[in-house]
Amino acid sequence: MFPWVNGFKWDVGHVVFLGAFYTVVMIVLATVVRAVLRSRRHFRAEKVDAIRWRQDFHDLPARDRRCRHELNGEVDSRLCENAFDCRSCAKHPEFERAAAARTDLPKGELFGFPMPLDRLYHRGHTWVRKEQDGTLSVGLDELGARLIGKPERLDLPEPGRHVHANGTGWSAGRNGSMVRVLAPIEGTVLATGGPDQGWYLKLKPDTPKPDTRHLLRDAEAVRWMSRELDRLQLLTTRGACPALADGGALVEDLGAALPKNEWAAVCGEMLLEP
Amino acid sequence: MAAKKPARYGMVIDLDRCTGCGACMVACAIENNVPPANPEATERTGITWMRVQRLGNGRPFPDSRAVFFPILCQQCGHHTPCVAVCPQNAVEVDAATGIVDQMPQRCLGCRYCMAACPYHARYFNWWDPAWPAGMEKTLNPDVAPRMRGVVEKCNLCHGRLHRAQAKAAAEGRREITAGEYVPACVEACPAKAITFGDLADDQSEVAQLARSEGAFRLLEKLGTESKVYYRSERPWVHQAVKSGIGKEPQRG
Amino acid sequence: MDRSYIARGLDRCATRRFLMWLLPWALLLAFGVYSAGLCLVKGLNQTNMDNRFAFGLWIFLDLTVIALGAGAFFTGFLVYILRMHELKAVINSAVVIGLVCYSGAVTVLMVDVGQPLRAWFTFWHPNVHSMLTEVTFCITCYLTVLAIEYLPLLLKNRRLRQVPSFLVFEFELHRVMYVLAGVGTFLSFFHQGSLGGLYGVLRGRPFAFREALGVWPSTFFLFVLSAAAVGPSFVLLTTWLVEKIAGHQLVERPVMQKLGRLSGVLLIVYVLLKAIDTLVWMNRTTPAEGFSPQQFYGFEPFGVWILFAEIVVFGLLPAVILLDARRRRSQAWLLTAAGFACAGVALNRFVMTIQTLALPTLPFDRFLSYWPSWQEVGTFLAVVAYGVLVYSLSYRYLILFPQERDLKAR
Repeated sequence: MFPWVNGFKWDVGHVVFLGAFYTVVMIVLATVVRAVLRSRRHFRAEKVDAIRWRQDFHDLPARDRRCRHELNGEVDSRLCENAFDCRSCAKHPEFERAAAARTDLPKGELFGFPMPLDRLYHRGHTWVRKEQDGTLSVGLDELGARLIGKPERLDLPEPGRHVHANGTGWSAGRNGSMVRVLAPIEGTVLATGGPDQGWYLKLKPDTPKPDTRHLLRDAEAVRWMSRELDRLQLLTTRGACPALADGGALVEDLGAALPKNEWAAVCGEMLLEP
Repeated sequence: MAAKKPARYGMVIDLDRCTGCGACMVACAIENNVPPANPEATERTGITWMRVQRLGNGRPFPDSRAVFFPILCQQCGHHTPCVAVCPQNAVEVDAATGIVDQMPQRCLGCRYCMAACPYHARYFNWWDPAWPAGMEKTLNPDVAPRMRGVVEKCNLCHGRLHRAQAKAAAEGRREITAGEYVPACVEACPAKAITFGDLADDQSEVAQLARSEGAFRLLEKLGTESKVYYRSERPWVHQAVKSGIGKEPQRG
Repeated sequence: MDRSYIARGLDRCATRRFLMWLLPWALLLAFGVYSAGLCLVKGLNQTNMDNRFAFGLWIFLDLTVIALGAGAFFTGFLVYILRMHELKAVINSAVVIGLVCYSGAVTVLMVDVGQPLRAWFTFWHPNVHSMLTEVTFCITCYLTVLAIEYLPLLLKNRRLRQVPSFLVFEFELHRVMYVLAGVGTFLSFFHQGSLGGLYGVLRGRPFAFREALGVWPSTFFLFVLSAAAVGPSFVLLTTWLVEKIAGHQLVERPVMQKLGRLSGVLLIVYVLLKAIDTLVWMNRTTPAEGFSPQQFYGFEPFGVWILFAEIVVFGLLPAVILLDARRRRSQAWLLTAAGFACAGVALNRFVMTIQTLALPTLPFDRFLSYWPSWQEVGTFLAVVAYGVLVYSLSYRYLILFPQERDLKAR
C-alpha cells in the first residue's frame, strides 16, 4: 500500500491501481473537509438563520410557495424563486412597474375577519409597524393568533439579540409541539411583549429607513389574506376539495378545535415551517 | 557470486507403479504437522496435502481396471491461478526454486485461491488444530503448524530444502547435490513411483522422464504449466484422463 | 411520544405499534448475531462449506445483495449527473437501501473469512492483479461514500436540524452531493464489475472463465450492466412494499413507471450481450480449454434449463414487459416483471458461484452438492433483520419520500 511496505512494486499495475485509490480517497476527503470549512464560515458570518430559511422554504410544498404577484392576479401562476425575499428578487421590480396602475380601494376587514391596514404584513403571518420613535413593532396577525391560540410556552428572543428577516422571530408551544414564527424584518430586539400586549417584539431597525418592499400592504395584503384563509380551509379538510357548504368565520382558537397532530401539521404549514 | 540458474523443482509420478497404498499421504501429514482430523471432519473438510484419487476405466468386471493418481499441488509455473487471485499476496512463486509458496501467516482465509485451483489441491483449516496428549512430540520442528481459518497446501517440503541448504552451507558447499533434498512423499513411496528433481536441469532423471513418451500433465489446455507430470505406458489411462469430468462414481 | 422527532405533516403510527413492528425483527437479529457469533467463536466448521465448496450461501447472497443495492449508485447517477429530477422522489430511499445492502454484505464477509482481524492485510499488501483486491478497496470506499450520503438524511431529522451546526453542515453537504454521486458511480462501476471479474478470470474453472476485453473478462461488464438494470427494479419493489406496509402512497405512479422503463432498457441490452457472451463461451472459450459445454450441463439438477431460465424466463421476459408502456401502467405487470428481473440477477450470481464450484474439473472429481447450515442461514437472516430495522427507523424519523406529503393532500 505504501512504498516502504515489503512487497511494494513500482510497476504499471501498482501505480494505476493505487493511484486511482488515493485519488478517490483524496476527492472524498476534500469534499467533506470543504463542506466542514464552508459550514464554519457560515457560522462566523451568522448566516445560520438565512440558511435555515432557505432550507425550510425549499422543503415547503408548492402550494405554500406561490409568488405574491400570482396572488394579486398579476400573473397566472408563479412559484417564488427567491424564498419570499422580494428585496433581492430580480423579477419583483418588473412586476411593481407593471402594476403601478392599480386603483382598487382596500378594506380593513375580510368578511368580519379584522385586517388592520396601518401595518405591513409578512408571508409568515406577522406584521410590522413603524412607530413614531423610529422603532419597529412586530406582532402576530389575526390568522396567526387564532392558529396558535393561547400558547402554553413562549420562547422570545432576549433584548439585545439581532434577528434576521425570514429568520426565527420567536417560538410558541402548544399541544406538546413547538412552532417557530418568522421574523418579518431585521433588527435588534429592544423589548418583548406577548399575546396580551398585542405585539411581540420591539425592534431597533438596522438602518434608519428600513427596506420593506418584501412586505405586503393595503389591497395586496387583503387579497393575500383571503387566499390564506382558503389555504387553511384546504389544509383542515385534509385534501378534500372545498365544497359549497364550506365557509364561515375562523374560530378563535384553532389549537383547541383540532386534534394535536393535525394542529401541529396545519400550524407548521401555515407559518411556513416544513 | 556466480549467477545460479534458477531451479524448477518438480516430479514425475509413474502411474504404472503407484499401488494406491497411501504411504505418501501419511508421510506428508507427518512431515508437515498436519493435525489429526477433528471428529466431525468429513472427506471434504479434512486436510490432505497429498491425496490419492482413483480413476477407473468404467468397464464392468472382468475388464475393470483402476489407476491411482496422487494429487498434490501441481506447482503451476504459468498463470498460476492461486497466485493471481490472492488479494493480499499470501502465495508467491519462489523465483529460485519454482515452488509455489503459501504464507499462512498472511492468509486471510477468503478461500478465493481454493475456488481458483482446478486441481483442488488447497485445503482450509475449518477447525483449530489439536493434537492428542503426547502426540505433540511427533511434531516436526522445521515446519510451522497453521491456525484455524487459513489455507494450506503442499509446498514440496520446502522445509527440507532449507535443511539441505543449511547442511550444505555448514559443510562449506554453495549448492546442494541432487538427492539431498527429497520431499517426504518421494521418500516414503514403497514402489518408488515418484521421481523428484530439478526440471530445469536437462540432464536430471526427472527432466528426462518428463520429456518421455507417455508423460502428461493434468488439464494441460488450461495453460498452467504445472511441474507435476504423470506417466503411464497403458493407453487406457491416457484415454480415461481425457474422457471428461466427473467420471468417477461415488465411492464409500 | 416521539412526535417531535417525526417530520411535520407525515402520518406515522403510534410509538407502541412501531415498537411491536420492530420487535420480531430485533429477535431475528439477535438469533442471527448468535449464529454469526458461533461461526466466529467456534470456526467456520459451523457452516456446511468445505474444501470443494469454498464459497457457499454467504458469497452467493452477498453478490445478489450488492447487485440489488446498485439502485443507490444508479439512481444517484441519474439524479445528480444526468439530472433526472423526477427520481428525486426515490433517491433517499435508494441510498438507505444501498447503505443497508453494502454494510450487511461487508458484515457477512467478515464472518465468512477465516481470519477477520487480518482484513487490513489486503490493504497493506495489495495484489493489484487480483479482482478480490479491487473489490475490497472499492467496496470499502463506496461504503464510506454511502455513509456520507446518508448523513444529510439523518441531519434533516426534525429534531437534529434544530442544531445549527447540523443544519449548516447538511446544507453544505447537499451542495457537494454531485461529487459524491460521481465518485459513487465510478466506484460502483468498478466493484460491480470486479465482482463479476472474480469468476471470469478463473482459468481453473472453465464453466466460469470468459474471454477478456483488456484486463477484464466479459463477466466484468455483464455484472455492471445487470446490476444497473436491476437496481431500479429493486427500488421499485421496495417502494411498493413500503407503501403496502405504510398503507398510503409515497411516490407518484409515473416515477414507478420510469424506474421500470430504465430497468427494461438496460435489461434488454444486458440480455443481448449475455446471449452473445454465452455463444462465444460455448463455441470458442470452452473448447480451447479442452472442454465441451455439454459436459457442464450434464449434471442434474443443473441442466440446460438453468441457462434458459436465467437468460429467457428471468431476463428477456421481464425486459420485454418493462419496455411495454401499457404493461408498465399496470401495477401487477410492473411489479412481476421487476421481481423477475431481480430473480434473474440472483440466478446469475448463483450460477457463477454455486454451480461453478459444484462442477468437477478433473475426471476423478465428482459433482457435489451443498446445502447451507442453519448457522449460515441465521447469519444471513441477521442481515435481513438489520436491513428492515434500519429502514424502518429511517422511514419513521427521516424523510425518505419527498412526494409523500404532497400525495397525502390529494
